[in-house]
Amino acid sequence: MIQSLFLASLFAPFSLMVLLGLSFLMRIPMYERWLSFTVKYFSLAMAGMGFTLWGLVWFHSPSEVLLHYGSWIKVGEYSFDLPFIVDLLGATYSLLTSCLIGIIFRFSRNYLHREEGYFRFTFLLTVLWFGLNIVSFARSLDLLFVGWELVGTTSVLLISYFYTQVQPVRHALKAIVSYRLCDMGILAAAAWSHHYLHSTDFVALPKLLHHDHGGSALIFIGIFVIFASLAKAGQLPMSSWLPTAMEGPTPSSAIFYGALSVHLGPFLLIRFHDYIDNFPSLLIAIGVIGGTSAIWATLVGRTRSDAKTMLGFATITQVGIMWIEIALGYTNFAMFHMVAHASLRTWQFLRSMSLIHDFFENPTVKQDVSIRRDLSFLKLLPEGARKKIYVHALHSFHLDFFTSRVIRGVSFPMKVIFAVEKKMMVWDNKVLARLLRKN
Amino acid sequence: MPIDVALKIFPLFLTFGGWIFAPKIQRLKELVLAILGILFVFMTWLFFQSPEQTVGSYSLISFSFNRPTLFVGAIFAGALFMGLLPVRKDLTITRNFLLLLGSGIGIILADNLPTFFFFFFLQRGVPAWNFFKNFRQGSSQSGGTYIIQHLLGLIAAIILMTRSYQAGILLNPLVEYPADFFTMDVLLLSFILVYEAHGIFPFHSWVHDIVDQLRWFEIACIFLPRAGVLLFVQLMLPNYNTEPDLFKIVLLSLSIFSSIYWSFRGILEQNVQKEVSYFYISQASLILTGLQATNVALRGSYLHMMVISFSGIALWSILSYIQGHVSLKKSQVFYGLAQDFPKLATLFCLFGFCLIGVPLLASFVAEDLVISGLLEQQPYLGLFHIFATSLNGILFFMLFSKLFLGSNPSQTKIINRDMSLTEMFPYLITLIIMFLIGVFPFLFLERIAW
Repeated sequence: MIQSLFLASLFAPFSLMVLLGLSFLMRIPMYERWLSFTVKYFSLAMAGMGFTLWGLVWFHSPSEVLLHYGSWIKVGEYSFDLPFIVDLLGATYSLLTSCLIGIIFRFSRNYLHREEGYFRFTFLLTVLWFGLNIVSFARSLDLLFVGWELVGTTSVLLISYFYTQVQPVRHALKAIVSYRLCDMGILAAAAWSHHYLHSTDFVALPKLLHHDHGGSALIFIGIFVIFASLAKAGQLPMSSWLPTAMEGPTPSSAIFYGALSVHLGPFLLIRFHDYIDNFPSLLIAIGVIGGTSAIWATLVGRTRSDAKTMLGFATITQVGIMWIEIALGYTNFAMFHMVAHASLRTWQFLRSMSLIHDFFENPTVKQDVSIRRDLSFLKLLPEGARKKIYVHALHSFHLDFFTSRVIRGVSFPMKVIFAVEKKMMVWDNKVLARLLRKN
Repeated sequence: MPIDVALKIFPLFLTFGGWIFAPKIQRLKELVLAILGILFVFMTWLFFQSPEQTVGSYSLISFSFNRPTLFVGAIFAGALFMGLLPVRKDLTITRNFLLLLGSGIGIILADNLPTFFFFFFLQRGVPAWNFFKNFRQGSSQSGGTYIIQHLLGLIAAIILMTRSYQAGILLNPLVEYPADFFTMDVLLLSFILVYEAHGIFPFHSWVHDIVDQLRWFEIACIFLPRAGVLLFVQLMLPNYNTEPDLFKIVLLSLSIFSSIYWSFRGILEQNVQKEVSYFYISQASLILTGLQATNVALRGSYLHMMVISFSGIALWSILSYIQGHVSLKKSQVFYGLAQDFPKLATLFCLFGFCLIGVPLLASFVAEDLVISGLLEQQPYLGLFHIFATSLNGILFFMLFSKLFLGSNPSQTKIINRDMSLTEMFPYLITLIIMFLIGVFPFLFLERIAW
């Protein structure tokens, strides 16, 4: 039963994605009404399946169901296997995905009504759905990477949803640079563990670690995984793209940067916790990164004036706190925190457009919803220091400046090579011109 | 056998016959496309027949139809056919193009060193001659690097042939060179030729000159025969011990660095046509990395070669169609062309995804195999390879954004200038194949083994 439900919840979004893709390629007209009707009932069915699967896994827990569907790619001794794990963590994330995407579909029926890109939006969300379900149930780093990349790609395409405007496109580029750089982490971790431990299986890796095949090199697998989680989770130093990624339609901001995509970082760390747990220095690093990001985002977020950007910074703060929880070993609590935060943040993002209405006119909002901007612990500092902190926070503590310096530093040797090459090409042309003149 | 003779003279006939008779042929465009289409079908069919060696003899000019040559030949003809078919209306066939095309086929089918180098330098001589003419007329002052690098390449080729003549194996088929021939100096010479042919750092500067001067399908005729790959696979691979030593590590590092170099070059470039070319060459640099690593990576490289040939040509072809309708000469931050070409923008994006390793598309499988194989042998170099593929992805997104996204300030009215579905048909077929390779790689991987 668990296996059938798992397969259905994995392949249903894939089938919908292929159907929508084919209808686009074959130019079959997809009317908005049909599309919203289809995705509405599809989401309901998926949420029902998700609940049933979650319930079955709950009764089955703490043991997990390990599934293996052979090899996807096999060349000689190398094989890209398809191992899955159906456990409480994966089932919870998959259920969260189904419920929130269903809500987003329902919301966007009105929000994107008669929008030109409604089909594109729906298609990209189905790709995201498929990607997230792969990540939820993947048991190996290789397989997880498939879902991880799909999520990243759809995220970037949705940031540039309003593609005729320049600013969203610039921000999408910023996001893709962060994503691609950090995605190297998963590939590197997968490759490293293939090389040293001959497996990328999350369940097998901690056990293999105790045989100690690779010595100190094994800590790098953990480092790569943490690096990979940075961009998706918007943690320092990969934080600056997240608040600027709110250029897409609000439902996509909600689902990506409030709910599902941004929590993939902590999700990966929880999945990999049994391995990382063997390296106290890595746990400290996770805690420090999370703590620093939380403080940074809190201070910077309070200097911003638009609702979605503030929510973006607030998300970084909460995800930072989740990292601290993971570092302290409270993985179950972090999972609970993740679900609660994703649900609340989705609601906040979706309501963010009605904020002015809520402030002044909405009779259902009885209590004071004004935002408190002052932080009590800052009051302990002298006023001059507080002002300095505010000014630096206004500039995001110069994160973009430092990032550009690092990029400039990294690309400097290349620029030197380009300059030398240019000189040599000019010299070549001069030599040839002189030879021809002699003849 | 008449068929043997016909096949034997075919590359020569195509090269020189095209040059001589081209001006007299009425429907040259259609004829060239038909030849490419027939070649594609014929070579693909022959490839799956698994021939050992259909034609081959110990004579000065000799051709062979074996699995590597048929594989590259089918890709060469198929990719050009697929890329040229949708843009045939704007296509002008010149004698130079025919020479590049014919000698490209000659390079692919060449069975011994004299034949290989004859066609290789004949092909490279076409742009060189144009540069030379421009220099003499004073109309252009570029191309010096191209000429000098190829002159040095010619000297290296002559030395290599002299060495093989001294060893009495000059006319041997490429795959039959004995292991003891490859002393350190011969190996070094061969690698210089392989890397120069493939545009690998530090023998790469000639690429800048042709990217400036030639049209996209002429550049494709130079890159698609994969002269460097064929020379490596046929001449050196049978005797190449993949066990790492310093020399091999340097070679591997150079091809990985080359990809990083071209990606950076593309990222810093303003001209979109050059950007597409750099993106393509950056991808192509990674082929040699896989070939020099393990058997797993080797298989990945074959697949990668197929993917980048078809997808890369599709990108070029789409760009050329767009350039036929919109001027891209003015350097702009964003051209915003998705408004005018929404379907082509989608296809461009999908073909780009096919190249940068997005899951469920073909290059994901290819890159996975190359990276796994490389890491098995050289873990640290493998990390740089991962960096190179990441940079490639960034370059593609920048290129796509620049061309299709953003607003075009000069535009007042949005007009849909897309191709019709019939015109797009070759792209769609290619795309479906890329998707099928990405989802069911096992169906293809077994069949493309050499």
